[in-house]
Order: sequence, then structure tokens, then C-alpha cells
Amino acid sequence: MTEKPINGEKRVFMTGNEVVAWAALAAEADIMYGYPITPQNEIMHYWTRLAPKYGRKFLQTEDEISAGFTTCGGVLSGKRAFTATSGPGNILMQESMTMAEMMRIPTVLVVQQRGGPSTATVIYSQQEVTMTCYGGNGEGLRIVYSTGSHQELFDYTIKAFNIAWKYRFPTFVLGDGYQAKMRESLYIYDPAEKGISMLKTVPFVGLEGMPGVDRDPSHLRNTYNTEEELYDVVTNLVAEYEKIAPEVIEYQTFDADDAEILIIAHGIVTRAAQAAVKALRSQGIKAGHFRPITIRPFPAGEARAVAAKAKKLLVVESAQGQFQRLVKDALYGLTVPMEGYFKPGQGITSEEIVEEVKKGL
Amino acid sequence: MSKLTKLALAGEGGQGVQSVAAIIVEAANDAGREALYIPNFGVEQRGGVSVAYCQISDEKIGSPKFKYADLIIALSDRAVRRTRQYVNKDTVFIYDASIENIENDLPTNAKKVLAIPALDIAKKELTPRVFNVIIMGAAIAATGVIDMEGAKKALEKRLGYKFEKDPKLKELNFQALERGAELVKGSL
Repeated sequence: MTEKPINGEKRVFMTGNEVVAWAALAAEADIMYGYPITPQNEIMHYWTRLAPKYGRKFLQTEDEISAGFTTCGGVLSGKRAFTATSGPGNILMQESMTMAEMMRIPTVLVVQQRGGPSTATVIYSQQEVTMTCYGGNGEGLRIVYSTGSHQELFDYTIKAFNIAWKYRFPTFVLGDGYQAKMRESLYIYDPAEKGISMLKTVPFVGLEGMPGVDRDPSHLRNTYNTEEELYDVVTNLVAEYEKIAPEVIEYQTFDADDAEILIIAHGIVTRAAQAAVKALRSQGIKAGHFRPITIRPFPAGEARAVAAKAKKLLVVESAQGQFQRLVKDALYGLTVPMEGYFKPGQGITSEEIVEEVKKGL
Repeated sequence: MSKLTKLALAGEGGQGVQSVAAIIVEAANDAGREALYIPNFGVEQRGGVSVAYCQISDEKIGSPKFKYADLIIALSDRAVRRTRQYVNKDTVFIYDASIENIENDLPTNAKKVLAIPALDIAKKELTPRVFNVIIMGAAIAATGVIDMEGAKKALEKRLGYKFEKDPKLKELNFQALERGAELVKGSL
């Protein structure tokens, strides 16, 4: 076996794209399939530089449609495969990701959100929430981690591989252009050091033995002939997804228990929200913050529990209410007033959130 | 020096503000501090205003962008117009003295507005190639986020391979750093 990419644990200072490449290496990813798009490019760049040193592979495809499907193919052959994209590339990967939902293919896709619609900006947004959670023709049977720091990018990229292979639903790490391009400190580590062992991967096709005689046939389908047949299949998929959801959901709360004003935010905006809560508390305002880490499945019960105690909810996001729709869905029936602070395609600072909260008092 | 220092460097693409920002935050990180740096860029390959947002602190840093900067250095007319939105009463706003017809666009609400002849000094005393290192010296002197020794080490780390080929270059860079610092010392 070739040497480990990271021994022990060490403090580093790098861009988020570099972090993802190191995380995938540490997670024993076998191959990345990819097509360049800003602000995700450097994941590929670093991977292609690092991967050969550790016996890993890379395939640049002709576009994102192909990158998504080759990732599915890599997984079917038993490889820990991943890809990464952004914006218009995320659109093109939706078809393959729905195939992964239907055939339970444990793909890992890292999304570094850029501005939209269309080409828009290469900088930053949180406008790929709806698409990453529900972008396909189907029921959004995916696991989506919305990260907020380089440490989380590293931790959750590693975790995404194990969660994907454990539950066999396509798994997404939802970053953004800020996380992709900025530099900050974090600790990278050998997962074994933290007691994390990578799940063994197995091929889905080309198995030993005679199907039906020596083993069950490996019956991979994404096409059905009748409505009734499809209905049964989708119902089962949904039931399995709902069964595992409680094991998968992750969230954080900050001073939420006695909060009169609850700020709800995800991804990198949580940093501004956390700082805003501190600033508001120091001014005697009872503010709190709820942050889902998995935005799909959404920690609905946990969100309801804290939201029900608040006098007002403020949903803050760098999109025009995409995240708020997920929140509303989770909180349906509560009568606590909800407002939105939306900055599509633009970063949000803690000062703005503080101002917005105080304006509404 | 406040606990958290927010710094915006802005210039035309190619003026080297991103390199300077990267070296400053790297040095801060090497000194055991927390640093966050985010480059701002458009879709153009060349040109356009390039802004580097840096934050340096003793604690983990919050949102990557900020509303108001402690220090802004703007190196072109467009950069001045772009960055004056980050000015409040605590901001030191430095711009290059060679920028023409900018008087009416300078911020009026800053703690201090200061013109420095960095480009002129680079051309006449040193070499235009070290213009951005003069800016780096000014940024460090104005904020104290890293010390001169740390700055030199960081420059060496980044440009060491060039210094080896041409020892004079090392001298020029260190001079530029000192010269940049001199430009703001005593003026703030």
C-alpha cells in the first residue's frame, strides 16, 4: 500500500478547494471525474497534482453531464468516486444524480455555489440550495451537508463518502465560492487518527458467480414500464430515505433555548449569524440561531422545537428565499411570525444581521 | 491594535494586490494568528478591479466579508470608487498619489485619508516590479498585523526561488517593504 497522504493531524492554511482535495485523499477516494468550472477548478487542480502520488486517478470528461455519469460508473465498478462542480455544471449533473437516487448509487458531489441564474458570477451565492436538494425529476432522495468553514469542508467531505456508502443515497457537500477561494486555518488529519474508518467499497456489477444460482442477481434499474411498478419503487425509496433521515440529520443551535428572535441560516452565513447573536446578546437582545448542517434531510423536528419558543424568526440567506422554503416546509403550522433577509448572490455580514434584527424590534 | 483587523486592498488586475494579501495572511498564520483572506474577482481573465479582503485576529474569524474596513489601500481610480463603500469613521483610507482626478471621489467620512507616492518611489528609487511590496510595507505599518521580521520571512518563503537566482532582488524587496512602512509611519 502506498503511504498515507496525511499522517496524524496538522494545522494548515489553504483554500477550500485545496481542503476538499486533501479530504478526498484522506478519505481514500479512488478517482475523481470532473470538468472545470469556476469557482471549483482548484479541487481538480490539486487533485490531479496530488492523486498520482498516492495511486489515485482522475478523468477529465467532455462536460458535466459526462462527469456525473462517469462518477456513477466509477461507483458501480466499486470505486470510491467523486466529482465537483458549480452553477451551470450543477444543472448538467442533475440527470446523473437522479439516476444515482433511483439506483442507489453512492456518489459524492462537492458543489461550490456561484451566482445565478445562468452564468451570473463566478464568486459566491447560496442559490443552488433548491437544485442541490431537489434538482432532479423525482423526490430529492439525497443527503446534503451545508458547510460553513474549512474545517467543516474537510470533516464533511470525508464523512460524505462514508454516509453515501452506508446509506446508498447520493451525497452532496454544499460549499460556495467563498469557501472555495478563501484561505483560513484548519486541521487536516488521517481519519484513522480520529477513529474514523472508511467503509469498504464493493462493485455493483461484474460480480463473481452465476446470478440467480450462486448469488442474487444485481438488478440495477432506472426504467419501469407501468405506473404501478414505479409507484411501488418510489414509495419504497422514499420510505427507506425517511427511515434513515433521523440518523443522518445534523444541526447546531446557538443561544436558541431562550431566544426571542431566532435567526435561521445555513452554510457560511452561519458565521455571520453566530457573530450577530453574540453582538445582540451583548446589547441585551435575546437572539439565538438555528443552523441545519444537513439541509436535506432537514432537521425539521429540531427546528420546530426551538422556533416554537421564539417570538420571531428571521431567515437569512444569500438567495431569494430558497432556504426559507425549506424552513417553511419544516415549520408548517407554527404561528411564530417569520421574516426573510435575502441577498441573492451576495455575502452577508454580522453587522447587517444585527441591523436587520434591531430594525424589527 | 484591535483584536480583529479588517483590511481591503484594491487595484487593477496585475497590480499585485492579491499576492500581497496572500503573503500578509500567510505570515500572520505562521505567527500563530488566525487569518482569513478572500480574493474578489470577476469573469475577466485580465483587468478589472481586483479586491483582496483580509481579516486577521487572535480568534477564529466570522463572515469572510465585512461591512467596514480598518484599512483600505486603493491603487487606481476605479479601486478608490469601488472601495469607498467600506469606509466608516474608524477607517484609514490610503491611495496612491499618482491617481489623477480623484479628489471628488475620495471618502469624506474616514478617520484619515492619506496619499502615498508608492508608484513614484517604485519607478524612481527601486523598480516598478516591487510596487506591490511597497504597498505591503504600508499595509503592515498601518495595521501592525505582522511585524517586519515576519513580513520578510514571508516574502522570502514566497519569492525565495527568485531571490536565489538574483540576490539583488531580495535587497530590492526588503527595501521596498521598509520604504512602504516609512510612507505611513508618522502620518497616522
